[in-house]
Amino acid sequence: MQETLATSTLSAPRRSSISTQEMFSTADQTSSTGPQPSRPSNIPPPGKSKGWNSGTKVRRMRRIIAEDPEWSLATVPLLTELCIQHIIKNFQNNPILKQLRPEHQQKVLSHLSPELPLAVTANLIDDENYWRRCCMHRWPVCHVARHGGSWKRLFFERHLENLIKHFIPSTTDPTVLLDLLPLCRSYVRRLRVDQLLPPVQLPGPPRSGELSDSGSDGETEEPATDHYQLRDLVAGLSHLEELDLVYGVKDCGMNFEGNLFLFTYRDCHSLAATIKACHTLKIFRLTRSKVDDDKARILIRSLLNHPALEELDLSHNLIGDRGARAAAKLLSHSHLRVLNLANNQVRAPGAQSLAHALAHNTNLISLNLRLNCIEDEGGQALAHALQTNKCLTTLHLGGNELSEPTATLLSQVLSVNTTLTSINLSCNHIGLDGGKQLLEGISDNKTLLELDLRLSDVAQESEYLIGQVLCANREAARQRTLNPGHLMSPVIAKGPEKPAR
Amino acid sequence: MNPPGALGVLEEKEEEHLSTPILGPSIHSDNPQERIQARRLRIAARLEARRREALGEYLDGKKESEEDQSKSYKQKEESRLKLAKLLLCGTELVTNIQVATDIREIHRRVEEQEIKRQRLEKLENEVKTSQDKFDEITAKWEECKQKRIPQDLWDMLNTQQMHCAGLIEDKNKLISELQQELKIKDDQYVKDLKKQSDDICLLLERMEEQVKHVMKTFRQELNYIEKAFEVERWELLTSNKKKWEQALQAHNAKELEYLMNRIKKVEDYEKQLNRQRIWDWEEYNMIKIKLEQDVQVLEQQLQQMKATYQLNQEKLEYNFQVLKKRDEESTVIKSQQKRKINRLHDTLNNLRSKYAKQIKQFQEENQSLTSDYKRLVTQFKELQKSMRHFALIDDKQFREIWLMNEEEAKDLISRAFDVDRIIHTHHLGLPWTAPDFWFLRNVGPISQQPQKSATQILEEVLMQAEEEETEEAASEAESYLDLPKQISPKTTRKILMLLCDESGFLIENKLLSLLLPLEKNECYLLRLDAIFSALGIESEDDLYKLVNFFLKYRVYHSPSSQVIHPYAFLQLNPWHLSPPQEQTSLLSALEPGKQPDLEGQKEESLVEGEPEEKEAPPSSRLIHPNDVLKILEAFVMGLKKPRDSWAPVKLKYVRDNSKDSEYWEALTTVIPDTTQNLWDALYTALEKYHLILTQRAKLLIENNSLEQQNTELQMLLQKYLDSKINSELQVPPIRVFRAPTK
Repeated sequence: MQETLATSTLSAPRRSSISTQEMFSTADQTSSTGPQPSRPSNIPPPGKSKGWNSGTKVRRMRRIIAEDPEWSLATVPLLTELCIQHIIKNFQNNPILKQLRPEHQQKVLSHLSPELPLAVTANLIDDENYWRRCCMHRWPVCHVARHGGSWKRLFFERHLENLIKHFIPSTTDPTVLLDLLPLCRSYVRRLRVDQLLPPVQLPGPPRSGELSDSGSDGETEEPATDHYQLRDLVAGLSHLEELDLVYGVKDCGMNFEGNLFLFTYRDCHSLAATIKACHTLKIFRLTRSKVDDDKARILIRSLLNHPALEELDLSHNLIGDRGARAAAKLLSHSHLRVLNLANNQVRAPGAQSLAHALAHNTNLISLNLRLNCIEDEGGQALAHALQTNKCLTTLHLGGNELSEPTATLLSQVLSVNTTLTSINLSCNHIGLDGGKQLLEGISDNKTLLELDLRLSDVAQESEYLIGQVLCANREAARQRTLNPGHLMSPVIAKGPEKPAR
Repeated sequence: MNPPGALGVLEEKEEEHLSTPILGPSIHSDNPQERIQARRLRIAARLEARRREALGEYLDGKKESEEDQSKSYKQKEESRLKLAKLLLCGTELVTNIQVATDIREIHRRVEEQEIKRQRLEKLENEVKTSQDKFDEITAKWEECKQKRIPQDLWDMLNTQQMHCAGLIEDKNKLISELQQELKIKDDQYVKDLKKQSDDICLLLERMEEQVKHVMKTFRQELNYIEKAFEVERWELLTSNKKKWEQALQAHNAKELEYLMNRIKKVEDYEKQLNRQRIWDWEEYNMIKIKLEQDVQVLEQQLQQMKATYQLNQEKLEYNFQVLKKRDEESTVIKSQQKRKINRLHDTLNNLRSKYAKQIKQFQEENQSLTSDYKRLVTQFKELQKSMRHFALIDDKQFREIWLMNEEEAKDLISRAFDVDRIIHTHHLGLPWTAPDFWFLRNVGPISQQPQKSATQILEEVLMQAEEEETEEAASEAESYLDLPKQISPKTTRKILMLLCDESGFLIENKLLSLLLPLEKNECYLLRLDAIFSALGIESEDDLYKLVNFFLKYRVYHSPSSQVIHPYAFLQLNPWHLSPPQEQTSLLSALEPGKQPDLEGQKEESLVEGEPEEKEAPPSSRLIHPNDVLKILEAFVMGLKKPRDSWAPVKLKYVRDNSKDSEYWEALTTVIPDTTQNLWDALYTALEKYHLILTQRAKLLIENNSLEQQNTELQMLLQKYLDSKINSELQVPPIRVFRAPTK
């Protein structure tokens, strides 16, 4: 549009370009508004006296042609240019791209509007720049690195996430999502949905004041509070590798209600079937969704012997010992590399079962049991397990009411183990003696890079000395990575990243 | 209700911006623990910084003393360590919030658990007490039922009501308490939310500060590193400059030294030159004197030479005069000669032109002659062709005419014979025998018997040889063929055997292989056939020539027979010489066919006279197999020539008409004169007989006619007698007749 206007204003005094302009206008109906204003200047309205007008017109034109010093052929747009403009304008109705030559394709892509319907663009355009413009147009902040460096993938993933996030069961039409499925199936690899809305309750919530009632009535109400069933969607996404779900409402603030965060049994069963059917899934996260023991067991049972699963994150839930036992079973029946059970209600028996599974596991790299309550019994069991385990590199036991006996055992482990790179024991009651023992243990260790002992009643001096040892270890690890050919180098290279998580 | 969760999310975000302000605002945190931790950390960081500085300085000094070149490296290392520490501290500081929240959460949980426990206990107590009260009330109801007095009942009911109200009040109180607690919890929730947002704000602030700080420190460290690099570079520059200058100085000093050396050397050389010059000068003078003496001597010699030279000059002048005169003479002679030469040249040219003309003429003549000759040859050929044609036609005609005539003659003869036979048998009554003459059996023109081909002869020879082997008594001359009277068949056969054995190379290999299974004689026959075809021997004559040649050759060449017979020469010569002679004679002679015959006769005559002939067969045995090839070669050489020249003539066949007349004469005299005479006599006799017979025949005819007249007259008479007239008549004529007759 811009270009046509420019040409029209320029071509006003010229005849030669007007003819092309007219051609253009006849050829292109949509752009006919462009040249129209230029017409009156050349073709006067027929109502006026002809004789004078024609004479003046000729004279004026001659004069103008003679005096126009800027006239040059260069300002006349090329036919290819015009065609490309036309294609861009009519792209929605008639998408022509693959037939064009590469340079023209580039031109068309750089001028396409980012608001074109996905049905047109999704499978036609692969150009990253176009999708970059689309992304930038929709979201101010985009981390393309988190989406495998592909803008197209980023666009579709975030688009789909947005749709799921704002999907209200029984209100929103599910076809909206299913229609998108054929367009995005080959691009979406990861779904991070940090809220799933419950269906809207038509009658005003009468139990705002009676939490106990809502709790007791939960089961009868369940069908009404089912969330969106992901089964069809996930089954359609053939490349899905990461699924990150939160069955809850985000940013509810003061409008908090208990039933906003209900993960019903039907949801749970549906989700279990979904993840069981999705064989490409590598990472599964279900956080902050009130998953209790039974639901965790349902989910984990569906994950047993999953072909691809590597990471399971069930943090910030209500999983107890039975759930932990199920997770322990999963450890020995899958290739799980990362297990996160942070902020749950795992106690000593659960930790013991986990430790039992860990003792002979060869896959698990990272185990997170932050903010549980495994206490010394569980801690000791885990420490015993670590004496035989040769795989685990990261262990987070922060906030677990651990105390000196665990520290003693851990110090023994540290002097033997050569795989652990990061241990977090913050927010425990390790005490002064425990700190000293840990110091003894770590003084023989050459691989541990991080040991977090904040707020665990350890003497400052031992903490400092531990820091020294860790520093030396880090330096050694760095030297090892710098000198290639060392066997340990890849593991060490991963080391500094993992603990940061 | 998940503050740690929120923090967890934040924590993830913060991974990207690892940052911390050292003096984090955590000191102003609500949590005393956190404050303590923060202070502790601050102290630790300060200590660390101080220690690091000291260490760094120490390291600086140490490293500078140790190695100069790695200042930048050291600076880098130092910065890296510093930055790593900074990042670590920063993350620690940022995560401190999380840790603090965690511990707060733990505390909260513990408290919550305690409160929950208390609440449960309280509720349980309450339930117990209220149950007691309720039991009391229900027990009272029983009592109430027993009351009969309305007053009492009313009192009782009142008290009961009071009790119930108390119970309800208790419950309500509990409820309100719980609601109060809930409210407190709500407030707490609000507070928590606020706190969380504060925490998040704090976290963000810290992170931002950390980012800023880290950026600053990074920049600073970068500056330091750059500075270090610059310093190092500068140092390097200065040190290099210093080195350069030193080197330059050294170079200058060396240059000076070289210069001095050079000057000294120049002086030395100058001295040497002077010395050399003086020495040279003296030498030069000496040589000069010597040379001058030489010059004097040479001048004297020159004088002498000049004298002789003058003498010589005079002599030469005289000679010159003499020679001049001679020269003049010679020029005169030369001119004369030249003229003569010119003249001769002219004549030569004339002659040449004449010669050329003549050559041309002769060439033309020659050409015309050759053309004539060619024409003649073609004509001759045509003539020959026509001649051949005519000869053939003549032959044919002759034969036809002959046959015709012969047939005619034979016809006549047969007729004559028939007549003769009839005469003999019928007329004479003699037995007749058909005369048997040779010419009667002859059909067609009389000619010589056709020449047999070599193979036929061969066959015959071999057959005969076989016969001879079987029956020794066979008479040679009789059984043997016509021509080779001079050679015995045995000899021939032996020679042929020899030839067959020795010249196997002339036979094709295929044939040899085919011959293997055949009989010995047949084998020889076929072999010889092949050899003869290879040698070009076709006719009987050729074969006998070959055999003869073998014999002669042996006689002529054999060293064993010392005596060289003059005939041998004579016999051999015709073989070698005759072909050309033959050619000429054949061409000239109109009857070339006769020539070989004549020659053959000549040979025959020659050979016949020889007594050696009888010796030939045994001698043939002496022919060495090795000689066969030579003989063959010589034979073939000799044979080839006549073959070529005979070719055109060969076709001509001239028949011998000498016997013709005889034949025809003979034919005429088939009937001998005696029989003719007989025939003549017979003829006359028969004529007479014929005459008589004819007379008789005449008489017979006359007789016959008279008889006929008689019968006719009788018939007439009868008629008259029988006619009516007779009756009518008085006197019938019949009576008349009868009367006389009677």
